[in-house]
Amino acid sequence: MSQSILSSSPYTHNNQSVRKVMLQVQIAALPALIAHIYLFGFGIAIQWMLAVATALVVEYVMLKLRGRPVLPFISDMSALITITGLVFCIPPEAPWWVIVTGSAFALTFGKHLYGGLGYNPFNPAMLGYAFLLISFPVQMTQWALPIEYTGEALNLLQSAQVIFTGQIPGLSMDMYTGATPLNEVRNGLSQGLSVQDTLNNSALSSLWGLSSWGWINVAFLLGGVWMIYSGVISWQYPVGFLGSLAAISLLFNQIDPATYPPVDFVLLTGGTMLAAFFIITDPVTASTTPRGKLIYACGIGILVYVIRNWGAFPDGIAFAILLMNIAVPLIDQYTQPRVFGHNR
Amino acid sequence: MNFFMLVVKQLSKIYPSAKRWAYRFHGGVFPRYNKSLSASQPIRPQLIPEKLILPLQQQVGLPACPIVQVGDKVKKNQLLAKPSKDPQKALSVPIHAPTSGTIIAIEEATLAHPSGLEGVCIILQPDGANQAIENALEVDGSLPKTPVELKSVLLKSGIVGMGGAGFPTYAKLPNERGRIHTLLINGAECEPFITCDDLLMQTQAEAIIKGALLTAEALGAERIICGIETNKPAAIQAMKKAAASTSVEIKEVATVYPMGGQKQLTLELTGIETPHDSHAVDIGLLMMNVATLTAIYRAVSLGDPLTSRLVTVSGLGLEKPFNMDVMIGTPFNSLAQAAKPKVKLDYPLVMGGPMMGFQVKSNEVPVLKTTNCVLANPPEPVDMQMPCIRCGECMDVCPVNLLPQQMYWYSQAHEFDKVEKLQVFDCIECGCCSYVCPSHIPLVQYYRHAKSEIKAIHAEEKAVELAKQRHEFKLARIEREKQEREARLKAKKEAVKQAAAKTEDSSEKTPAKKAAGAAAAARAAAAKRAMQKGNKPSSGSDKAMPSARLKAIEAAKKAAQNSELEAGSTASMKSSTGDAKSKARQAAQKAAQKRAQKVKAQSEPANKDAKTNLKSESSSPTKEPSAEAISLDLTQTSEATTASKKEAARKAAMQAARAAAKKRKVSSSDHQVSSDKPSGERSDNQTHQQDENSDKRQKAMEAARKRAKQRQAEKNQAADNQENT
Repeated sequence: MSQSILSSSPYTHNNQSVRKVMLQVQIAALPALIAHIYLFGFGIAIQWMLAVATALVVEYVMLKLRGRPVLPFISDMSALITITGLVFCIPPEAPWWVIVTGSAFALTFGKHLYGGLGYNPFNPAMLGYAFLLISFPVQMTQWALPIEYTGEALNLLQSAQVIFTGQIPGLSMDMYTGATPLNEVRNGLSQGLSVQDTLNNSALSSLWGLSSWGWINVAFLLGGVWMIYSGVISWQYPVGFLGSLAAISLLFNQIDPATYPPVDFVLLTGGTMLAAFFIITDPVTASTTPRGKLIYACGIGILVYVIRNWGAFPDGIAFAILLMNIAVPLIDQYTQPRVFGHNR
Repeated sequence: MNFFMLVVKQLSKIYPSAKRWAYRFHGGVFPRYNKSLSASQPIRPQLIPEKLILPLQQQVGLPACPIVQVGDKVKKNQLLAKPSKDPQKALSVPIHAPTSGTIIAIEEATLAHPSGLEGVCIILQPDGANQAIENALEVDGSLPKTPVELKSVLLKSGIVGMGGAGFPTYAKLPNERGRIHTLLINGAECEPFITCDDLLMQTQAEAIIKGALLTAEALGAERIICGIETNKPAAIQAMKKAAASTSVEIKEVATVYPMGGQKQLTLELTGIETPHDSHAVDIGLLMMNVATLTAIYRAVSLGDPLTSRLVTVSGLGLEKPFNMDVMIGTPFNSLAQAAKPKVKLDYPLVMGGPMMGFQVKSNEVPVLKTTNCVLANPPEPVDMQMPCIRCGECMDVCPVNLLPQQMYWYSQAHEFDKVEKLQVFDCIECGCCSYVCPSHIPLVQYYRHAKSEIKAIHAEEKAVELAKQRHEFKLARIEREKQEREARLKAKKEAVKQAAAKTEDSSEKTPAKKAAGAAAAARAAAAKRAMQKGNKPSSGSDKAMPSARLKAIEAAKKAAQNSELEAGSTASMKSSTGDAKSKARQAAQKAAQKRAQKVKAQSEPANKDAKTNLKSESSSPTKEPSAEAISLDLTQTSEATTASKKEAARKAAMQAARAAAKKRKVSSSDHQVSSDKPSGERSDNQTHQQDENSDKRQKAMEAARKRAKQRQAEKNQAADNQENT
């Protein structure tokens, strides 16, 4: 990394850097990664490594094409955070080309074409996710079943076989893949089943009181709380997002429990916690003013609920975030804080 | 320290961000202070350097005027330079000798200034004797009763704000007693490394408290509050002890940078948020640094001017950092050398702390009255600047609650209007944003640049606006004058018509047919010439009605009116006797003479003749034709026929006008701007003195201009003449 000498004050620094921030985020995601491996098998590890390899190639090529210094930008770790966010969103046993195209799209179209780190208006991970959702809807809904259904997660070899060949000799697809809880509720509702019925059916297979998806969310919550504590992310994002999502789901659940799932289900399924602590907190694409952060996060919470319940997709995180990304400049414009000594 | 503070202190051990709850202002950072480097050392005895460099300008405002000569022997505390001009306006302060010695030069030297400015300095070579003038300010030890009394002592003593900006202290104080209700003492000293105020409070708490009390007494302030950061327990203890039996309140404030900022400490101590558009003095508050108060005390009670100050010499590059009562003018390098640098000082020293200080251009720059620290930190390699990731760290630490990342964004895009809208001018350049930026963007540098750009833009806008106003004013004036002139023209036209009618009646009896014949011949010639020249474009505009002609018409009118009266009274005239013929000839001669005076020969009489039928033109002369002119036209009008009479009169009048114009030109050597000149000339403001040559040239130009006008008139005339003849 090239270095220079400071020419004007301050001549001191707290030694924070972009790379350190990104690494902290990556570390905060480790609990969820480990939980994921335990509950769903090694699929995610393979996906993650595929994504890292893709990211390295794409970053290198794009930086070269753009005429930027490769080393400082490839080592800023921002691509790592992008692909980590994306990997958690796709099914662990999805074919290898899903994550490769998704990562390549996210980094190329989500980041580099806008001018690289710091200049992208849309969250690259969510752009990649939305791209995959629209392009490969079938592959994107075939989730590996967690251990409470299968009794035993797929091992590394089996996961690799599924990912690279699409099948495991001697096992049928249906034995290890199925719908996510959000999908189940959705399907149940379309078949005339109430939310309670659907949830009661699957409640049989719970793990220490929570489903595997619930545990993944808890792991994200842990990492997120640590990030708030260490000052990597602002509290406004998760508070605004989870608060608004909880409030709106509580309201509708009270109105009609048969159609609208309960609060704990809403908060602990899908990518709720992932979004709350790892996706919407991406500072580049989020609002920056203190009040703006809250408004931005609340907007996403409400949109996620709207899309989940009345939209065409089982989990609306990607679209909710992308929609609020567009609104960020406007939010920032109208939420400027009062400057010292000024009246507002 | 109250209970809440204790809780916060304990809590911050497990949750560092809890520190922020211990103070009132937004943001702030907690840098590594490194204060023990110098604070742990006792104050060193004063060092007398080989030479002292005393800049005439050490503060905002104008430099002082030296009153000593090279070679003069001076004593300590002797006045070396007095404030220039009116010190109240010029913000200039005197300079006194820090020790005894010889003035060896008064010359330019590099100053301790961010831009490496050079300035005139008095160079004093100490003799080592350190002979002092006791009570140099000639005080009688009595305490000042009014702000004005205090201010006069402060002005004489050369005291400026010693905390940083260096605003002359006398200029900071209000003139009226009672305008300040609270005196605030700044003992926060929030910059890393610097400990001079800490040690000053530890060693001279009495002087600080006395200085504060006498200042508050003179100003009529009711409260005195001193704020000291919690990381200086010894200073707090000493100050509390000194203030025990007085009205001075000692308050511990949280250790956070920039607690020592005036507005931040004011908020912390009083809960008052200084409005962005007013100074602390406007809201009855006055803040003074502890060092300034010590200097005030010494000046008022001992009569000592400000010639030395406590300076921290510290930094990671020094073996033995220290604090010392340093003479103003001591070169940085001699101080740094005294602290035993670890490696050779081949890097620039910093004046001030690491957060807001600046690198000096040369390490030989002198200590100023505002120098609180000489910092020797070896340059550390810093990470490459990365793009802004809008993380908002800068916003979280901004003590003024700005949006640094957005200001940076717009500064980078050169959208300075938006930067200004984000209140960049409220930025105190404390450096917190740059300190925390994970992308290592030198944010403060961007804001400094933006500020200077915005100032330049505003200056330009102002200039443009002024020019626009001037232009509009000029257009309005031209329009007004045009209207006035038209109005006058109209009036004169009527008058001339009437006058002409009169003269026809009154002057018929006069004979002199020959003159008429000559005039007719001349007119014919003129017509001919006019036809030749007729096609030439006329350069003069209609609105620039030739003034000469206007005058001529006026003269004609006058002449016509006076013809009867003055016919007999032309004794003064050269050619009073003789018949009309000779008179006419004389007039012709005169005309010829005049003509000869012109730079370029031109048959003007003919032209004038040709002009005579221009009845439609009227005039608004401002000057009376000269007596000579009147007499001239008398000679002709008296013998003219009805047809040529008017003609002759006008011709004579024009002659007169030209003569008058010439006279005027000669008399007004400097200015050539007047309302009766063609408008083209009006804006031609010739303000500077003209020598002989330019005068001549001007005459020539004048003549040429007239000729042009005549030519135009001639052209106009051509058609008329054709009809007439």
